[in-house]
Amino acid sequence: MQSSLFAVLALLVLTAVGFLIGRRRAVAAGSGRASRLHSLPNYYGYYLALWTGLPAFVLLALYGLFGASLVNTLALGELEREAAPLIREYEAQLARDDQYQALAEETQQIEAEALSARNEMFRAEREGGDAERYLRALGALTAQRNEIAAERQVRRDQVASSVAARAPRTIPGVRARAGFEYWRAPSERRELFIADARALAFNEGLASRNTEEIRAAALALRPWEDLFRWSAAGVALALSVAGLAYARTRIRASFRARDRVEGVVGLALMMTSAIAILTTLGIVFSLLFESIRFFASIDWRIHEFLFGLHWSPQIAIRADQVGQSGAFGAVPLFAGTALITLIAMLVAAPIGLMAAIYLSEYASPRLRAWAKPALEILAGVPTVVYGFFALLTVGPFLRQFAMMLGYEDAVTQSALSAGLVMGVMIIPFVSSLSDDVINAVPQTLRDGSYAMGATKSETVRHVVFPAALPGIVGALLLAVSRAVGETMIVVMAAGQGANLTANPLESVTTITVQIVMLLTGDQEFDSPKTLSAFALGLVLFVMTLILNIIALRVVQRFRERYE
Amino acid sequence: MTLDFPIDNPPTRYHPLTTQLPIKVATEDVSVRYGGKLALEDVTLEIPDRAVTACIGPSGCGKSTFLRCVNRMNDTIDTARVSGSIRIDSEEVNGRDVDPVVLRARVGMVFQKPNPFPKSIYENVAYGPRIHGLAETKAELDHIVETSLIKAGLWAEVADRLHHPGTSLSGGQQQRLVIARAIAVNPEVILMDEPCSALDPIATARIEELIDEMRENYSLIIVTHSMAQAARVSQMTAFFHLGKLVEYGPTEEIFTNPLDQRTQDYITGRFG
Ligand SMILES: Nc1ncnc2c1ncn2[C@@H]1O[C@H](COP(=O)(O)OP(=O)(O)OP(=O)(O)O)[C@@H](O)[C@H]1O
Ligand SMILES: [Mg+2]
Repeated sequence: MQSSLFAVLALLVLTAVGFLIGRRRAVAAGSGRASRLHSLPNYYGYYLALWTGLPAFVLLALYGLFGASLVNTLALGELEREAAPLIREYEAQLARDDQYQALAEETQQIEAEALSARNEMFRAEREGGDAERYLRALGALTAQRNEIAAERQVRRDQVASSVAARAPRTIPGVRARAGFEYWRAPSERRELFIADARALAFNEGLASRNTEEIRAAALALRPWEDLFRWSAAGVALALSVAGLAYARTRIRASFRARDRVEGVVGLALMMTSAIAILTTLGIVFSLLFESIRFFASIDWRIHEFLFGLHWSPQIAIRADQVGQSGAFGAVPLFAGTALITLIAMLVAAPIGLMAAIYLSEYASPRLRAWAKPALEILAGVPTVVYGFFALLTVGPFLRQFAMMLGYEDAVTQSALSAGLVMGVMIIPFVSSLSDDVINAVPQTLRDGSYAMGATKSETVRHVVFPAALPGIVGALLLAVSRAVGETMIVVMAAGQGANLTANPLESVTTITVQIVMLLTGDQEFDSPKTLSAFALGLVLFVMTLILNIIALRVVQRFRERYE
Repeated sequence: MTLDFPIDNPPTRYHPLTTQLPIKVATEDVSVRYGGKLALEDVTLEIPDRAVTACIGPSGCGKSTFLRCVNRMNDTIDTARVSGSIRIDSEEVNGRDVDPVVLRARVGMVFQKPNPFPKSIYENVAYGPRIHGLAETKAELDHIVETSLIKAGLWAEVADRLHHPGTSLSGGQQQRLVIARAIAVNPEVILMDEPCSALDPIATARIEELIDEMRENYSLIIVTHSMAQAARVSQMTAFFHLGKLVEYGPTEEIFTNPLDQRTQDYITGRFG
């Protein structure tokens, strides 16, 4: 730690020195007159500072990112090599162990049976046979396999400890045992082993165990760590000095330091935007891959996913849990999303538009100056707050109201309450975007209309509104895509029943709600149930993407018209 | 009604020949303030009927402001305050009880940049008659649209595409469309604020021709920065400077024999 701190400080000082030298030399090269230089003296300073600091800092950053794991790999690789005789002995004993071999054979058999049961189940489901029966069989087989796997593990541990016990109680013997333990451990145990060893070796936090093996590993880590740390610091300083020396020789009056510095700045900015874009791409691709896995797990019945009318993704995970096999027809989710979005837009579009028209055409500048930000505060209210407002206030009120009107089946969590509150949430969205659009309508059009003797509302209706219409459509589409993707309000207020209904007083579920339901709680990450969330996410992403593209196009056209 | 001859009324100078024409618009001590700033100061002048009156003067002298007083377009500017009296046919325009919406049907206005509405050519012209309820039937409306377009000299060019958007026309055609739109409500006075400044010479010539024809039926007031244009199309010229009306009289007199040194300097291009 101290050595890297020292290296960083030294580099900072060197960089500053580089800047000063660069400036000084530039001034000298221009014989004291800045106008003789290609660039201002400071740019020569920056140029030298960049050469002095940048390569060295990049090296240190690489060391910081990869140094520790390199040290771990090297040190533990060393121990593993020393454990080779133990490993050989262990494998030989297991191969000779009849009990263990019998268990292995049994496992293979069960896996083969499970595979065929699974295929049968899918076939039965397709052809309308008794899928339940195969599902139960599959559950029993899984349980049996898990039992045997536990027995095998016990047997392996017994063999391993007898092998380890035979290693000599010397330092090389302990090192070999450490390597052996590390070799046998599954990956998450390996991480823990390394973490403990590092904790002992470098005081990085507290070790959870302190055994002979861990101490041996800690001792093995230290020399590698020292080597890397000092050599990284040394190489960084050397790079820095070399960079300084090289850049210094290049400074002349005609040298285009400014362009070089500009190039580096451009590169740095490009890297940051590349990070943003690549992250987005990464997310989209992972969505795509997981969706492909999901479609594979339902045997590529994509049309059933997109057009199926029945959504119940439960699949039996444990033997005693006899559920339905999953049905992944997403139409009820699409319909629920559409219903809630429709209700929300019925609220937000008229109110938002009228508010925008009032603010841009009628309100005095003073009123507008505070009313517009006040409206935009609505957009800053956390959606969770809207959610409990919908759940605790609007939902019960609507239920009672419906019951008063004689609709006895009314429920608290309904599409209507979620939709209404979501509508309120997106009002500022609509009003703010439309307000911008309306303001972009040229004043000359209004003047033309007033000069014809039109009143304000005639002008708004006949001139301003038609002129702004394309932009307003764009604004509404953006609001729709916002409503489609909104999660919190619907999770809290719309209920979870995957009802295929157009009745706003029933509870419905949306794409986003189901994604939340599928991914919360304990989950296996490769069951079709969990994977279906990714497919839903993909659908949602594609939908909002298309909406946004259309909306932006429309708005763009509108802008061009009045440039 | 004829002009009294206020030649000794400083600071404005009137030419003697002004007396011969019938008067349409008469202003008296009209001042306009934007916020606290005086943009137009005590303008008193009388504008003849069936003639073209040109307003000239350096930029920022208040020509547009004066024009906007006549149809009370200054009402649409929050900070503007107008005082003094403006009469059209001896009817006060500036009174509180006058409905500007009705007034603006009597006083048409054409702007510097052609501003057709985002509607069809037909709908652009029909806009005024529709909002003022001037046509009972579709046939009447068609008739109004046609005669207005004929008067604006645009009919031949657009007769076969009345339902294309008004914005699809060329700049010069758009400006004639806007003129047609203005005359569709049968105004008595037409105000034009630099109607040709966004147009090329040929389109400008057509508009000037049109203005000359319209003189037979309307009282026209036009603002222009082109001395040549003022000389060509107008019968009367008013010269404004720093918010004041400096000199007013028959165009020929103003251009050949100005009474005020500032007018002389401006029309000979010595300042501007
Ligand atoms: N809406 C307004 N708010 C505040 N001041 C204004 C406004 N309109 C005009 N003014 C001011 O009033 C004065 C006269 O403006 P006006 O537009 O009448 O000049 P103009 O003679 O038409 O000039 P130009 O030839 O450039 O069109 C100017 O000083 C201008 O800054
Ligand atoms: Mg003007």
